[in-house]
Amino acid sequence: MNEIKIGMISFAHMHAASYLRALARRNDVKVVGIADAAHDRVKPFLEHYGLAYYADYHDLLKQDVDAVIVCSENVHHAEITMAAARAKKHVLCEKPLGLSDDEMRQMIQACKANGVQLMTAFPCRFLTSVMEAKQAIDRGDLGEIVAMKGTNRGMMPGGWFIDKALSGGGAVLDHTVHVTDLMNWFSGSSPVEVFAHAETLFHDVDIDDAGMVHILYENGVFAVLDPSWSRNSAFPTWGDVTLEVVGTKGCLQIDAFAQKNEIFSTDRAKGEWSYWGDNMDDGLIDGFVEALRDGGAVPVTGMDGYRSARVALAAYRSAQSGRPVQLTEGR
Amino acid sequence: MKVAIIGGGTMGTVYGHNIAKMEGVRAAGVCDVNRAKAERLAQVCATNAYTSMDRLLAQEAPDVVCLCIPTFLHRSYFEQLAAAGKHVICEKPIALSLEDARSMIESSRKHQVRGFIGQVLRFFPNYADAAEKVRAGKIGKPGVAHFKRISAFPAGEGNWFRDREQSGGVILDLMIHDIDYARLLFGDVRSVYARLHHSRKPGAEMEYAQVTLKFRNNAIASLEGFWGYPGPFTTAFELAGDKGIIRLDSSQAHSLDIKTGQSGLTSQVQGQVQVPQSPMKHDPYFYEISHFLDCIREDKTPIVTMGDALHALSIALAAEHSARTGLPVEMEGEI
Repeated sequence: MNEIKIGMISFAHMHAASYLRALARRNDVKVVGIADAAHDRVKPFLEHYGLAYYADYHDLLKQDVDAVIVCSENVHHAEITMAAARAKKHVLCEKPLGLSDDEMRQMIQACKANGVQLMTAFPCRFLTSVMEAKQAIDRGDLGEIVAMKGTNRGMMPGGWFIDKALSGGGAVLDHTVHVTDLMNWFSGSSPVEVFAHAETLFHDVDIDDAGMVHILYENGVFAVLDPSWSRNSAFPTWGDVTLEVVGTKGCLQIDAFAQKNEIFSTDRAKGEWSYWGDNMDDGLIDGFVEALRDGGAVPVTGMDGYRSARVALAAYRSAQSGRPVQLTEGR
Repeated sequence: MKVAIIGGGTMGTVYGHNIAKMEGVRAAGVCDVNRAKAERLAQVCATNAYTSMDRLLAQEAPDVVCLCIPTFLHRSYFEQLAAAGKHVICEKPIALSLEDARSMIESSRKHQVRGFIGQVLRFFPNYADAAEKVRAGKIGKPGVAHFKRISAFPAGEGNWFRDREQSGGVILDLMIHDIDYARLLFGDVRSVYARLHHSRKPGAEMEYAQVTLKFRNNAIASLEGFWGYPGPFTTAFELAGDKGIIRLDSSQAHSLDIKTGQSGLTSQVQGQVQVPQSPMKHDPYFYEISHFLDCIREDKTPIVTMGDALHALSIALAAEHSARTGLPVEMEGEI
C-alpha cells in the first residue's frame, strides 16, 4: 500500500477532530470521507478538509477504504467495529474498546477472522515522557516494579458521556482505561484483581463522576488510580495524566502535561496552562498508519483495549459489592 | 514550667531546640540510654544529661516529660510517668496496639495527669491553612483527596524503625500523619483498603503503602506512604470538592533556595529520620509543644487529643489488616 485510504466513522467523540488533523498532515494518507448521522457536527470538517459525507456508515464501508477510525458513542463501538471487520477494513477504535467482556472478545475475534487489524486509541502511549519512562523501566533502571499510582482527573464532559445508555459508564469507565493501559504496559503483567469505589460526588449528574481504582497484577505489582471528573471551571486546565512508578532500585514520576506555560490574562478570570509538549494524537495516528503502510502490527491492539476496559468494568462490580473482583479468565 | 526530654534521637533534638527557645519554659534534664546522645542534647537546651529516667525524675522534678523514644516503648514509659504524676507529651504514633493506646489513656485519667500525642501535622502552617479553607467551605462538599508522604528509610538507635514489631512500619509511623489529618478534614472513616510492600533486603530496604479511606460523608482519600524514596522528603496533598480544589506540593513551596559551588553541594543525609524544614521563624513542633504546654497551664482541651491519636491508630491498624488479607475493613463506630 502506498497511500492509506481512511474513513472516519462518527464524530461523537471529539477526539475525532484531532485524529483527522493528524491524518491530514501526512502525505501518505487519503481521508476518504466522514460517516456520521449528525451532519451538523461534521459539517465544518467536511468543508475544511473537502471530504465526502455519508449519513450511514455502511455506505462508507462500501467505498475503497483500507481502514476506519471509530469515534462513536461507546455503546456503538462493537457494532461498527464488527461491521468494518466484515467489510475487511482495519479499525482504530476510540477507547473504551467496549462495554462488556463478551462484546470486546467478539470485536477482537471478528477482526482476526477477517484478517484486519484492530487498534485501541490510547494516545497516552505516544507521550514522549511515557515512551521514555517505558524505556527506563525496560532497561531495568528502577529494578523490579513494586507499585504504581496514577491519576487521570478531568472535567465533567457532559453530553452523551453522562447518558449511561450511550456511554456505558461515567468517570470510572471514561478515565480508568488510559492510565490502566499504561500500567498494564509498564508492569508487563495482567490485572488479576480490582477493588474500587465509584460515586457521584462532584456534579449534579446521574452517573459516577468520582472513583478510586486499585489493581493487583499477576506478578504482585499493585496500583491505584484516580479517574475522577474532579477538575472544575476554575482549574487552569482540563485535567491531567500522572503516573508514579516505584521500583526496588528507583522511582519515576510522569506528569504528562507539565510542559506548559502559565498564562495570566484578563481575557479570562483565571490562570490557564498552555501545553507546549509533543502532540500525542500525532503519535497515535502515525503508529496506526505506519503499521498499515508497512504491513506491521499496530502498536496498541484490541487486546490492550480489552485488558484495560475490563478493569473499569470490574471496578463497577467491585464498587457495587464493596469487595475485590477477580479477573481470572480470558487474559 | 520544667520540661524533661526522654530520648536524644532526631525527635528529642527537635524538641530540645524548641524548648530552649520558649519563654516561661525551662529544660529540666534530658535522658538517653546512649550517654553521648544525652550529653549532646543536654547542650542544646542547657540542662543536665541522664541515662536513667528515674534519676532524672528524682533530681530534676520536671512538671512535664516529653517522650521521644521508639514506639514500642511508649506505653511502659508513659504509664510510669503518669504514675509518677507527670504530664506527658508523647511522640506519634500513640502506640502499636489499640490495647496499649487505651491503657495509656486510662492511666492518664487514673493518675489525673495530662497526656498529649504529637500528631504534629495539625500544626504545620500549610496543612493548618488548608484545613481552615476546607472548614470555610472553599472546596464545597468534599469529593476525592490525595495525600503523599515519601522519605528515605529512617534510621534510629539500634535501627528500631526497620523492625515492624518496634515501629509498626510505614503506615503506623509515617502515613499516620495524613490519616489523622484526613480525619480532621472529613470526619469518621467508613472503610479502609490497603496495599503494602515491605522489604528488608540489603540495598533495597523499603516500605511502600497505598491506602484508600472511604469516609462516612462519602469522601474518598488515597494515601501514599513511602520509606526508601531515593529523593528528598516530600509531602503533597490535593483536596477536591464540588466547588473547589486545594493543592500543596512541598517540593514546589521553597521560599529560599541557596546553592553554593565547588564541593559545597550538600544533599539530604540518608539514614536519618528526615524532618521537614521550612524557613519560618518557628517550626511546627514549636507551635505543637507550646500549645500542649498552654493546655496544661490553662486546663484546655488540645486541638488534637489522645482520642484522636487512638482513632488514627485504629485506622492505621485497619490498613495493615487490609494489606494482609487483601480485603477492605469496615470501621466500627466505637473503638
